Amino acid sequence: MSLNKNLSKVLNSKILQGILIANIFAFLIIGIQSSLAPKDTGILVFSEFVIIPMLMGIITAWFWKDMAIRGKQITGYSILNGLIAILISFFFLGEGFICLLIVSPLIFGFIISGAFIGRAMFKKRNQKLNISIVSLLLGIFIVDSLSDHHHENMVSDELLIQASPEEVWQHVVAFDPISQKENYWLFKIGMPSPMATTVSEHKLGANRKCIFSNGYIFDEKIVKFDINKNLIFDIVDQPKDPEIMGHIDIKRGEFILKDNGNGTTTLIGNSWYNLHVFPTWYYDLWAESITRNVHFRVMQHIKLLSER
Amino acid sequence: MFSFVVKRVGFLKDLPLFAIIFDSLMRFWMFLTKPELLDWIDDLEENVTQMPETTIGIHKYGGIGFNYMGKEFAHVHSNGLLDVLLNTELKNSLMTEGKIKDHHVFKNSGWISFYLQNKQDLDYACILLDKAYDRAKQKHNSIQLDAI
Repeated sequence: MSLNKNLSKVLNSKILQGILIANIFAFLIIGIQSSLAPKDTGILVFSEFVIIPMLMGIITAWFWKDMAIRGKQITGYSILNGLIAILISFFFLGEGFICLLIVSPLIFGFIISGAFIGRAMFKKRNQKLNISIVSLLLGIFIVDSLSDHHHENMVSDELLIQASPEEVWQHVVAFDPISQKENYWLFKIGMPSPMATTVSEHKLGANRKCIFSNGYIFDEKIVKFDINKNLIFDIVDQPKDPEIMGHIDIKRGEFILKDNGNGTTTLIGNSWYNLHVFPTWYYDLWAESITRNVHFRVMQHIKLLSER
Repeated sequence: MFSFVVKRVGFLKDLPLFAIIFDSLMRFWMFLTKPELLDWIDDLEENVTQMPETTIGIHKYGGIGFNYMGKEFAHVHSNGLLDVLLNTELKNSLMTEGKIKDHHVFKNSGWISFYLQNKQDLDYACILLDKAYDRAKQKHNSIQLDAI
């Protein structure tokens, strides 16, 4: 009896109702959107990380509008709202821990903003304004969902090696396992990092494999083999991982060896990728940082082997 | 962090929602690291609510805005930075007390900045808000009189 009473008290709580309805709304919208746009599977549009969390915040504010609720409480409950959304994404959308860690600043930022914007909106008691704001946000969501999304980027890094191009080349095409400790925080918390590279033959058209710390293998094909100068390989198959690798397609990699004429070589590493998560102004920062750290881990290893 | 962002990427504040989202992230951070600060901000808000003809809203550059008859007279960012609009005379006399600073962006204006760092600062913040409210009220009344 008392359990039923407590349960009904909890369910009747406006706080909980706001959080529940906001999450149900979000996942219904995302479900409808992904079922209507099957051709774009794998693409996550900016509205899913910006408009939906903001609407979630506004929904909670509507439920809380007649409560004497202080800003600190709004913040706390909004964080809880975001945590629930993140947990649902983890269990039902199959997103990985690191991916959710990366996405969380957007989710929390926009949910908290939505809750405070909603509080200001509902205080004015201007229904026309409220409907206009919500319609505008939904309109943006629909247009964004129906738009084409494509983003390609190239990241380039270089490193000076105290060895000749001939020596460096020996370790560029394939290299022994990397034994150095991870020094990039995302690698330290479990993001796969490059460990070794093998090659079927040292020639154009050969198959190359880049092996990552969790056993993932990127299958590559050498498309340019200019000895001691330039190696280009296309990625022909990459693992689909719930972490960031499921949201980024590495297309091509390149090593350029520049002979400095004084016994040293400048090694340039380039990578091309397609990003499947938007907004790019946010995710590309992460993608660039991760790609750069993959480059440096491999290039530092090549430097170590070449200078030995 | 706040000063760095204001100095380095302050130009982004005019992008829709940028400043509001940044402030929400500060609020998130403060909730985790210094939750009592959010209590003090709420106390300031309640203090202003009791002043007649005031409204509270979202500030366009992030934080909570305090308005008198629809005109802003102060706002507080979620890192505890209270910006208050005084007149130059009042500002100069308060500056001698050493508790307030020039506004963190508009140095040569009637705006001043005051950091809420502990609970004791709340009393002084309320005094500043009272002064700003009185000034806004006087200004509004004089405009009304001029109109007549």
